[in-house]
Amino acid sequence: MELGERNEKLIKKHKWRSNNLPAIATVGPVALLLVLLVAVPLIYVAVMSFCTTDQYYNVVFSFSLDNYKNLMSADYMKIYIQSIVIALLTTIICILVGYPFSYLIARTKSRWKQLMYMLVIIPFWTNSLIRIYGWRTFLGTKGWLNTILQTIGITGGPVDFLYKQGTTVFGMVYCLIPFMILPLYTSIEKLDGSLLEAAADLGAKPFKRFLTVVLPLTSGGIFSGCIMVFIPCLGYFFVSNILGGGNSDVIGNLIERQFKSGNNWPLGAALSIILIVITLLLVKLYQKIGGDMDELGV
Amino acid sequence: MKRFRRFISIAAAGVMMVGLLGGCGSSKKNDAGKNGEINVFVWTEYVPDSVFEKFEEETGIKVNVSTYSSNEDMLAKVKSETEGTYDIVLPSDYTVELMIEQGMLEELDQSKLTNLSNINEAYLDPSYDPGNKYSVPYQGGVAAIAVNTSMVDKDITSYDDLFDPSLKGELVVLDDYRAVIGMTARSMGYSMNETDPDKLAEIEDKLLTLKDNVALYDSDSPKSALISGDCSVGMIWGAEIALAMEEDPNIKVVYPEEGPYVFMDNWCILKGSKNYDNAMEFINFMLDADTAQMVSEEFPYLCPNKAAVEAMGEEYSGNIAKNPPEDVIAAGESVKNLDNDTLAIYNDMWTKLKK
Repeated sequence: MELGERNEKLIKKHKWRSNNLPAIATVGPVALLLVLLVAVPLIYVAVMSFCTTDQYYNVVFSFSLDNYKNLMSADYMKIYIQSIVIALLTTIICILVGYPFSYLIARTKSRWKQLMYMLVIIPFWTNSLIRIYGWRTFLGTKGWLNTILQTIGITGGPVDFLYKQGTTVFGMVYCLIPFMILPLYTSIEKLDGSLLEAAADLGAKPFKRFLTVVLPLTSGGIFSGCIMVFIPCLGYFFVSNILGGGNSDVIGNLIERQFKSGNNWPLGAALSIILIVITLLLVKLYQKIGGDMDELGV
Repeated sequence: MKRFRRFISIAAAGVMMVGLLGGCGSSKKNDAGKNGEINVFVWTEYVPDSVFEKFEEETGIKVNVSTYSSNEDMLAKVKSETEGTYDIVLPSDYTVELMIEQGMLEELDQSKLTNLSNINEAYLDPSYDPGNKYSVPYQGGVAAIAVNTSMVDKDITSYDDLFDPSLKGELVVLDDYRAVIGMTARSMGYSMNETDPDKLAEIEDKLLTLKDNVALYDSDSPKSALISGDCSVGMIWGAEIALAMEEDPNIKVVYPEEGPYVFMDNWCILKGSKNYDNAMEFINFMLDADTAQMVSEEFPYLCPNKAAVEAMGEEYSGNIAKNPPEDVIAAGESVKNLDNDTLAIYNDMWTKLKK
């Protein structure tokens, strides 16, 4: 009797082990990594966003909603709106430039395909900060562009290209366009050519074919490209710092300032939470309009 | 096709990686020198590499350098790192005081500072660190005005002139809120360390009129925008002006009538330094006349080292951009520590200016 009970216990234990051990062994390390590197820092940021600072800029752990109250003021609202406008413009330009380009790469059969793809990728083997500094030199009053324009007589005097909102948008487009082209390329590549032939056989003109067949079938790529351009755009503070001269701040600039010269980490943490909330809302919106989470590819 | 797909996926992964890492800095640590190492944390464009190299050669102590571009940046970084990450920092006057109050600094071993006698007495025993217990002066100067006379017709003589609407989009100013707000306060006859809320509200109104005039906020190398011609007027560190003048003779230095923002930066050792003796050796090396001269030749700020000033002669003393006249310094004001509520107002103004 006693022996049987003990056996039963052992069997139970063994069963539990054989059911769960493989799962723990395979998923465990990843889960641990995610908890340590994603969940814990996020919780830390969230907790800090309710703290305050003392006169020496040290973080004081207490509960206060002041940070969020400050961030709802009209001045901050203006910067949120400004950065959303910058991000929106960047995204639109990325689609307008990226779509035809991706279509070209995906549909062409020529040997240029690989080369065109390389043209998108190669600049990314250099640090983006250096490339943005390069643009600052190129676009300066005594830079190459102005020199060329004046030499061939298009402009009489130097044109001020730098330190404008437009320059910031340009820099953002330049930095982020591959993130639009890559998902677009994948979705256009997957497009079944026979559907286009069928549409043509049924008498659809090229423009109509594009509108009713190509566009709906590649909308997933467009959405994921938009998300991947729009969201980093809100945070790329170095682009607006270098090319916008501090006149076109995005949310990332505000965060950077609070963590560095402002020395108000709790306020910076609250700003980061706001950025995360905006991001989550956008991803939710993306799901709502039927985007596939796998398409985001991140 | 298959090969191409694979190529693409690898390339795409590469882009993601670089995208993720973009903007992150990395610091590599080399092996320590034969006599150990020191970790110094200093302002950008302020201490020449040649000086570090000379120190390494003479002492066999390896120098690891990191840089910052404002006192507040430095404080934030030092506090977020574990004790002992940096041995030496180079804070300005008011920050030295703040760090002493918080017990962030180690006392200097006066017996090792054999070169301290090189320093002009006028710069010793400052109010922020009586008796130089924690700090010794490195270089100082003023935030002066640079004008490119070939591009600007207006006669600029004061901080107040920088607010003139004719200078729309022409200014480069320091990316430093105490400097810019302080400059505005002084243009109205107020103190850089104003705490009265009514006066601060007035200062804010005036500060916001500067917005259209500023093209660029830059503390690291504001001279570049002047030399490249992207900006014609600057409110920047004196030595940056001196260097810009060497590149473009049309650039002139103007000391504002209201009296400028003056500062002095100081060598300090952080609490918990693991290389205290090496750090003391470094600080004493920096007080040496030859070293000070090497520094001045590359970054010509106000040099408190009288032995070096003597050795440099007219080249330094006769150049008013490098060596601001005594009455300019006397008329100036330095930044003081303010209480938390007032700093919050200053920060708020800065955000409004930059939106």
